Amino acid sequence: MTSLAKSLNPKNDPNAGTERFERAEIDASARIPVLVFFGSAIFWLLIGSLLALIAAFKMNIPGLLDSEAWLTFGRVRPAHLNTVIYGWSSAAGIGVGLWLMARLCRVPMMHTSLLIVAGVFWNLGVLVGTLGILAGDSRSIEWLEFPGYATPILFIAYAFIGIWGVIMFRYRKPGHVYVSQWYLLAAFLWFPWLYGTVNMLLIWQPIQGSAQGAVNWWYAHNVLGLWFTPIGLASAYYMIPKVIGRPVHSYYLSILGFWSLALFYSWNGMHHLIGGPFPAWMISASVVASIMMFIPVITVAINHHMTMRGNFEALKWSPTLRFTVFGAMTYTLVSFQGSLMAIPSLNTLTHFTHYTIGHSHLGLYGFFTMMMFGAMYYIVPRLVGWEWPSASLIRWHFWLAAIGITLMVAALTIGGIIQGFALYDPAVSFTNSTLFASPFLWVRGVSGILLTVAHVVFAVNFVMMLARAGGPRDEPTLFAPHAPDKEVAAV
Amino acid sequence: MNPDNNKPVESEEFREAELSSEMNVAKVHGSILRERAEPRDGYEPISLWLITLAFGLLFWGGMYLVSHSGGFQANVFNSNLVAWDGAGAAAGKGPPDPMVVGKRVFTQYCAVCHQTTGQGVAGQFPPLVDSEWVLSREWHGDNHLVKVVLNGLQGPVTVKGAPYNNAMAPWGGVLKDEQISAVLTYIRNEWGNQAPPIPVEFVAKIREENAARTEAWTQKDLQAIERVVVEAAAGDAATEPPAAPAPAENPPST
Amino acid sequence: MNRLPLLFFGIFITFASAWAGLVAYPYLNLGRMLPITDEASGDILPPPISGLADAGQRVYAANGCVYCHSQQVRPAYLSTDIAKGLGGRRTVARDYIRSKPAFLGTMRTGPDLTNVGLRYAADWQHRHLYEPGVVTKGSIMPSFRYLYRMQKIQGQPSANAVQGLQGPHAPPPGFEVVPTQQAVELVAYLLSLKRDYPLPEAPQEEVP
Repeated sequence: MTSLAKSLNPKNDPNAGTERFERAEIDASARIPVLVFFGSAIFWLLIGSLLALIAAFKMNIPGLLDSEAWLTFGRVRPAHLNTVIYGWSSAAGIGVGLWLMARLCRVPMMHTSLLIVAGVFWNLGVLVGTLGILAGDSRSIEWLEFPGYATPILFIAYAFIGIWGVIMFRYRKPGHVYVSQWYLLAAFLWFPWLYGTVNMLLIWQPIQGSAQGAVNWWYAHNVLGLWFTPIGLASAYYMIPKVIGRPVHSYYLSILGFWSLALFYSWNGMHHLIGGPFPAWMISASVVASIMMFIPVITVAINHHMTMRGNFEALKWSPTLRFTVFGAMTYTLVSFQGSLMAIPSLNTLTHFTHYTIGHSHLGLYGFFTMMMFGAMYYIVPRLVGWEWPSASLIRWHFWLAAIGITLMVAALTIGGIIQGFALYDPAVSFTNSTLFASPFLWVRGVSGILLTVAHVVFAVNFVMMLARAGGPRDEPTLFAPHAPDKEVAAV
Repeated sequence: MNPDNNKPVESEEFREAELSSEMNVAKVHGSILRERAEPRDGYEPISLWLITLAFGLLFWGGMYLVSHSGGFQANVFNSNLVAWDGAGAAAGKGPPDPMVVGKRVFTQYCAVCHQTTGQGVAGQFPPLVDSEWVLSREWHGDNHLVKVVLNGLQGPVTVKGAPYNNAMAPWGGVLKDEQISAVLTYIRNEWGNQAPPIPVEFVAKIREENAARTEAWTQKDLQAIERVVVEAAAGDAATEPPAAPAPAENPPST
Repeated sequence: MNRLPLLFFGIFITFASAWAGLVAYPYLNLGRMLPITDEASGDILPPPISGLADAGQRVYAANGCVYCHSQQVRPAYLSTDIAKGLGGRRTVARDYIRSKPAFLGTMRTGPDLTNVGLRYAADWQHRHLYEPGVVTKGSIMPSFRYLYRMQKIQGQPSANAVQGLQGPHAPPPGFEVVPTQQAVELVAYLLSLKRDYPLPEAPQEEVP
């Protein structure tokens, strides 16, 4: 405790006390709204995981639960997709994004009741939308299956949040603007534009024909790249330097990474439709943009890696850092994979196969979800004023999730390639293409069970946290005790 | 370590007093006390190889875009065409090879049941490989084969000594004469089968003669019809008058 | 990069560039495309679909068929779709102007359906939707028998009863399976899926 006393002593750090009160004030103001979003997110994570298991095992056992309309694969699968995108990922991202923005803008959250109302509306929208899909009102537009009576609820809820976030940035304390703030500001501005456009052009005044496909995939890919990715990167840029106490390697790399992402990512959408009924230039533009993504991805990878260099040992004890670095490394991997998948000659093989599903889970789970877990492990103690009750639950969470996602991606990648070869060969009957992939789908189902258990473990720890279970602690809950001569961990 | 400007200690005390009415010092809990300062930027320069890579990719991207965009026309879908005048590729070719067309038709319409190997499914769908029905052996003629494709086949049949009892859909309404001619030529010359091709005119003639027929054939019906084989050399159906096809086909049989 | 106006401008302009190319452009060029009239035959291409088939699109969307079935034929230089017989030519934008939405699909857990109307007749479709595993051995397609009704035969069997059903849910003697309105619409839609007509921007690869 000597270092604590040292740091508390104003003689050593005249401004530390002020700064800490500031942060405490911010955290106190953020408590209810961010916990509302986190709690909702975890709830939808559990629902989404259950729906995923049902959908996954239906592919191996077609007769599973097949007598009811609301449980048919074609409804359960989009229900899973939408609950994990809008229910889990977006809500977690909003919670993390708002807290990060508040901390970095160094202003406490004001008028938080608006955010709480927005959170309630957001949940209502996801609930109504999911029930609508199961009832048979799905639009069958990928990533936008919520019926037209649910999407406006989400849009209004988001409007509160987005406006709020931008205003908070506007009224930030003067001084240097940190890289995470650019990403968060951009995400808050891009999402409503995406959601509004696609609601207008695909739901309220639908345009005809294959143009819908173009707008659909412009939307879906940009939700991933201009909403989730910036929030994930903002979190990584905050958590990594924060936990290890080093500066980010290069401000210039941050600038290059941010603007090249903004410029190239949004053009990627058509790579979901290579070979599809679109003018050649649109497809080629997306192929080029997908390859150009090497620039921001390599830039960010260098920035993160050079920041971490010499500090990898911290991964042994910090849950936040371990989940975050897992996510950051996966970001590099999945982006490289995505760029290569956009090359038309490779796309010929992987298009329409499980390989694509492996890729999407690597991105949304291996990168974004793991990143959000890391951020939540950091943020929640600061909101609740309590430490995580169980280190062993955190350990279980990490290993089940890490092994689960690795197994899932490996199974779908290999299965997808085999399926791709079978689909490519005119001499192989169609039924065989599904038959060959079938054992890999079993493995995928099992990996889904691992992930679901990981989520239950996390949810239990979270509820115990809210209930202030276990005794009060002075030390943070870590994977392993830190070395005795190091400072108390800054997690 | 501090992003803030240095402030005198008095303001810190003032701040403490200001805040104490809202929150206890005790609430500034351990996790904040032990936190490090907010993250900040370092200023390492961008390495040269990254800049080189970026420009290299930009150059490649520009070249690819210009050469694979079909002149940026809305009606050019083939990215391999640098078509500045907007023309699609429609190369004129010679008469199509029946084995190629036939294989395509077979894969699209027939392989679902008869399989791409032509082996069928035991007990369900008869094989075509070495089948007397396909190769016009024994009582089977080319005319029977065409009739089966045009109107379908149902009821108990025997193929290569094995019994089958299924329903083959009629394809006369779906496939044109050229397609039927091609696919029959294909199945008669694939998988080790060898038999003369079925000309388009022959298919057209049988279709015309069968125009009144709506029901699928049965084996019994077909056995009542005399066998007609197309001569490969002569290819003239007029020299083979089928034995009174009209009366034999009229009585509907089950 | 410390000022809101600069950041906002950059965020706006980068996003707007892709919005112009991938949203505004398709809206203007593809979204307002009209059918053409074939010179030789006078047909309107693509042909209009019946009201029943149009209603069938809603059933297709409601039950998520697109998550396993694609509806696009890729060109020969990029795939073996044409060699496999999925269609005589690649599909182009005009093929989808009657689709609401265009069910292009991104998975082939099940076969491509661009030209399924050319391959199977209504009775096969009904039997297949009712019990896919019996009609196609090894199929992993789920059963859609909830779109059908099993009822006692009243006097004469119904004209539209599904014939030839086998398997665990086949009707016992004295019972018949009748399609509901949704099944009728869906099958009408599936039968309407034919893109065997030529278009100037994508002529047939070969005759016929």
